[in-house]
Amino acid sequence: MFLELADVSRRFGGLQAVTGLSMAVAPGTIHGLIGPNGAGKSTVFNLITGVLPVSAGEIRFRGERISGLRPSEICRRGIARTFQATALFRESTVLDNVLVATHLRAGRGLLATLLGSARYRAGEAAARERARALLASLGLVGAAALPAGALPHRDQKALCLAMALATGADLVILDEPLAGLTTQESEDTMAALRALRAEGTTILLVEHDMRAVMGLCDRITGLDHGVRIAEGTPREIQDNPAVIEAYLGAEDTRA
Amino acid sequence: MIRGRRALEPVVGFGLLAAAGVAVPLITRDSYHLDVATATLRNLLLTMSLRHVMSTGQLNMALVSFMGVGAYASALLVTRAGWSFWAALPVAPLLAALAAVPVGRVALRVSGPYYFLITFAFLEVLRLVFNNLFVSYLGGPSGLVEIPQPHSLPLTAGAVAFTTKLAQYWLMLVLFLGSAAVLIRLEFSRLGLVNSAIRQGELLAETLGVDVTRYKLGAFVLSAFFAGIAGVFFAHSQQVLHSSDFGLEPMVLLVVFTVIGGAGSVWGPVVGTVVLAVASELLRELHHYEILVYGLVLMVVMLFFPEGIVALPGRLARWLARRRARGTPAVGASVVP
Repeated sequence: MFLELADVSRRFGGLQAVTGLSMAVAPGTIHGLIGPNGAGKSTVFNLITGVLPVSAGEIRFRGERISGLRPSEICRRGIARTFQATALFRESTVLDNVLVATHLRAGRGLLATLLGSARYRAGEAAARERARALLASLGLVGAAALPAGALPHRDQKALCLAMALATGADLVILDEPLAGLTTQESEDTMAALRALRAEGTTILLVEHDMRAVMGLCDRITGLDHGVRIAEGTPREIQDNPAVIEAYLGAEDTRA
Repeated sequence: MIRGRRALEPVVGFGLLAAAGVAVPLITRDSYHLDVATATLRNLLLTMSLRHVMSTGQLNMALVSFMGVGAYASALLVTRAGWSFWAALPVAPLLAALAAVPVGRVALRVSGPYYFLITFAFLEVLRLVFNNLFVSYLGGPSGLVEIPQPHSLPLTAGAVAFTTKLAQYWLMLVLFLGSAAVLIRLEFSRLGLVNSAIRQGELLAETLGVDVTRYKLGAFVLSAFFAGIAGVFFAHSQQVLHSSDFGLEPMVLLVVFTVIGGAGSVWGPVVGTVVLAVASELLRELHHYEILVYGLVLMVVMLFFPEGIVALPGRLARWLARRRARGTPAVGASVVP
C-alpha cells in the first residue's frame, strides 16, 4: 500500500485525540478526510508528517515505517503538506519560498556552494527553472519577486501548494485547501488538484466544503472523536448513517 | 531582474568593504587611528559571524566564548607547543569550531529564551574557566601574558613582519575580507535562503525537507570558527588575554552593534559596527556612559526601527512612494494575475 496507518493512536495528556485509526491511501487518488470540528483530522496530518509523534501504532509509506522519523526525513521520502493556517516565509519573495522547498533536489554542501562548482550551479539553475514552472502553472509567475506576505489570500494558498509540490513529493497532504476562497477560486483550485492527480500525484486532504469533497475525492474516510466511523466512495459516505449522525450531532450542538 | 540584483549586491557590497579597508591606511597612518580601525575590523568579523548564526534565529550569547577558545588555543599553541603563528592561525579557529559542536548540540535541544539562557550560561562558565582553572596554563585572574606578536610571514625571510600597527592592520584586513567573502557568499546562496526560511518558520522549513537542527548547528559552528579567527588575531595583537575579554560586556556590545545595524541583512552588522565605532570616537568624553548610551540607542532602534539602520533607506523609499502614489491609482494590485 502507498500510505498506511495501522492502529494509530495519539494522546494529549488525558485527551485521546486519535484512537486506533487504521486507513490506507491508494496511489494516484484524491483521498478525503472528513469529520466535525475536533474530530482529529489535523492531528492525523501532524502524525503522518511527523510534526507530532504517535502514541501507539505505526504509519508506513511505500511499505516503510515512517512514524518516529523527523518531518524533514518524512518529506525526503516523498510526503509534503500544507498547513491549515497559510504558512509561508512571509518576508521572503514568492520565488524564494518555492526555492527553499526545492532544497531536497538542489546542490548542497558548503564547499560546493563556496566554490560555485559546476554541479552546484547546474542544480541551482534546475531548481530555479522548476520553481518558475510551478509558479507559472499556478498563476503566480507575475508575483515571483513580491514578498510572500504581500500576496492576496488566494495566491498565498496557491503558493503553499506550489511549495509542497516543489519538494518533489508523491503524496501531498492539504489541510483545508479551499478555506476562505471564493466559489470561482475554489473551482480553479479543484481543477488544479485534478490536474495533479492526472499527473500521478496522490492527494490526501481535509476540507469542510462537503460539495467540493464529494466532487473531488475518489475515496473518503470519516472521523469522529478520533475514531474512524466510515470509509468508502463519496456516494457510500453520503448515505452513511454514522457520518450523517456525526455531522447532524455536531450541528445540533452548534445551533 | 531579481537575479541581476542578487548577483550584483554581494559583489558591490564586498567591493565597497574592500575599498574602504584599503583606503584607511591611505588616509591616516596615525597609530591611534590604526588601532581603532583594527579593532573595528575585528569587531566586524565578530558581528558578521554573530549575524550569521542569528540568521537562523539563534541569539547565541556564547559567540565571544569561541573567540576566547581561539585566542587561548592559539596563544598556548605558540607559547607552549612552539608552533608558528601561521600554523596556529587555521588550527585554533578549528578548535573553536570543534568546541562549538557539543555546545551547539546541547543548546539546540531548546529554543527561544531557554536557548538564550543556555548559551549565556556557557559564556559565564567558560569565562570562569579562563579566570580560575588551569591557572598555570591560562594565566588565571591576572591574565595570560607574553604572547608573541604574529611571526613574520614564512618564505619571505622576515621581509613581511607584523610588528607595526600598520602591518597588523593589513593582516586583520586580510583575515576580515577573507571571512567576509565566505559569509557574504553563503548569504546570497541557497544556504542563506534556507537559513532565513528557518528563522521565519522553523516547522514549515522542517516539513519542506530542511533538516533544521543540522542547519542551525552548521551556522553555530561556522560562526564559532570565524569568531575563533578574530580570537587568534586578538591574542597576538594584544599579547595579553584576560577572561573579561570574553565575558558578558563584549558579548552585549556585539549584539548591540548587530541589532542596531539590522540582523536581517548581511550588511546590517557592517553598518551598525562602523556607525557605533565612529560615534564612540566622536563622543569620547562620554566614554564612561558608553554602555548606557548603547542601551538607550538599542531601545530606540528596537522600538522604532526593529529592522535596524540598514533598513532605513528602504523604509524611507517606501514611505515616499506611498506619498507619491496617494494621488494616482494603486499599481500593486495589477502585478498579480
